[in-house]
Amino acid sequence: MSTKSRSRRAEQVRQMQAAAARKERVRRLAIAGTAGAVVVVVIVVLVVLKLTGAGTPSNNPAAAGGNAAQTAKVVSLIESVPKSTLDKVGPGTVSNPPKAITAPKLTADGKPRVLYVGAEYCPYCAATRWGIVQALSRFGAWSGLGLTSSTANDVYPNTPTLTFHGSSYSSQYLAFTGVETKDRAGNPLETLSAADSAVFEKYDSPPYVPEQGKLGIPFLDLGGSYMSSGTAYNPGILKGMTHVQIAHAMSNPSSPVAEAIDGEANIYTAAICSLTGNQPGAVCSAPGVKAAKSALGKG
Amino acid sequence: MAPTADRREELAEAGPGERMRAPTTGTPRWVQATSLLLCVAGLAVAGYLTYEHYSASVTLACPDTGVVNCFKVTTSQYSTLLGIPVALLGLLFFAGETLLCLPWAWRARLPAVGLLRLAGASVGVLFVFYLVYAELFRIDAICLYCTAVHVITLLLFFVVAFGQALTGTRHTASSAD
Repeated sequence: MSTKSRSRRAEQVRQMQAAAARKERVRRLAIAGTAGAVVVVVIVVLVVLKLTGAGTPSNNPAAAGGNAAQTAKVVSLIESVPKSTLDKVGPGTVSNPPKAITAPKLTADGKPRVLYVGAEYCPYCAATRWGIVQALSRFGAWSGLGLTSSTANDVYPNTPTLTFHGSSYSSQYLAFTGVETKDRAGNPLETLSAADSAVFEKYDSPPYVPEQGKLGIPFLDLGGSYMSSGTAYNPGILKGMTHVQIAHAMSNPSSPVAEAIDGEANIYTAAICSLTGNQPGAVCSAPGVKAAKSALGKG
Repeated sequence: MAPTADRREELAEAGPGERMRAPTTGTPRWVQATSLLLCVAGLAVAGYLTYEHYSASVTLACPDTGVVNCFKVTTSQYSTLLGIPVALLGLLFFAGETLLCLPWAWRARLPAVGLLRLAGASVGVLFVFYLVYAELFRIDAICLYCTAVHVITLLLFFVVAFGQALTGTRHTASSAD
């Protein structure tokens, strides 16, 4: 083979290799482009599903509630926690007790008023309601309380609790306003009045709470004299328990549940007693309440 | 044709016997620079989120329910995976990708390095899918810092994927020269 033909042959080989290289380049870029497009499409689909409301997991509020008989049983158990148990527990294992604040008095019908702001989905609200119900039952009577549990999609999922939505409270000593802003699925449920919203926004913000806890729930304002933001104990202690089991455990002074919930109830009771002029005497002079009074935060 | 800067560099590094056949990785400089820049940015944001995770005091309260709410996202049950903070996983991810996107790693002739870089970026994208899903459909809140990490991860995947494609083709093309 002559030099000229060898050169022509080499040129043909180079052209073929160059063509193959171009083809390979197009193929690889097409794969990379397709992968990139798939990534974009997946993100867009997720956003569109969110905006259209599709794909949201079901979190039916009703599914978490109990029937009327079960609710009545649980409420009855909470209201009938023995005095001896409450006295033995005292402040219990509570952390984050209400802090004293200097604020305009919260009242209704001439009585001191307790304001609670929470939401049904919130696991920390779930933990807090038990103690509120117990404490306030010592000053008056509940009706219309319901059973529910916190959302399945947050920390401490499905924490059993009661809901103030649809409930009412009557007492000769104090008034209660319980606002559940959202249901278990996170849908809007109840709205704060303008006045209560102002209280919530002012006292659930720095300097009363850390910046990261601003407008956190549950929020509790006890007559304008005490406030708390967040729960008083770790909701994890209620894990795996049913409503009835928790209510039963509240009567056992050696159980962690009683140490937490009854302790919380005693501290709320002590704070309320300071609003009612230590009335009723039988409640406010109880050793458990007196012991809990020392645990109230000074602000 | 005059060799490119990358090509000259490759030839300089290659031994005398290799100069006739040594293929160049030929990754465009913009790919190397952009990928490294994205990794460093991701490292910084993930580092901040990790610091926040370990230094923030624990508040037993449900945060404000606004849609843009970093605290709600970073304290949710989706902020850890198998007990490991997601922010820390992000930090480790970007630390690894930073090493794999250094210039020497882009120039490495070992195919495993390129594959590892691409596999890492792909895993990052899958994790972003999971976290975006969690934010949108489970937590119902968005953390802007987390979103920044997600965007950086996606951009890194695009750059790495195209860089890998261009590297391979230029390699082939230069082999054919």
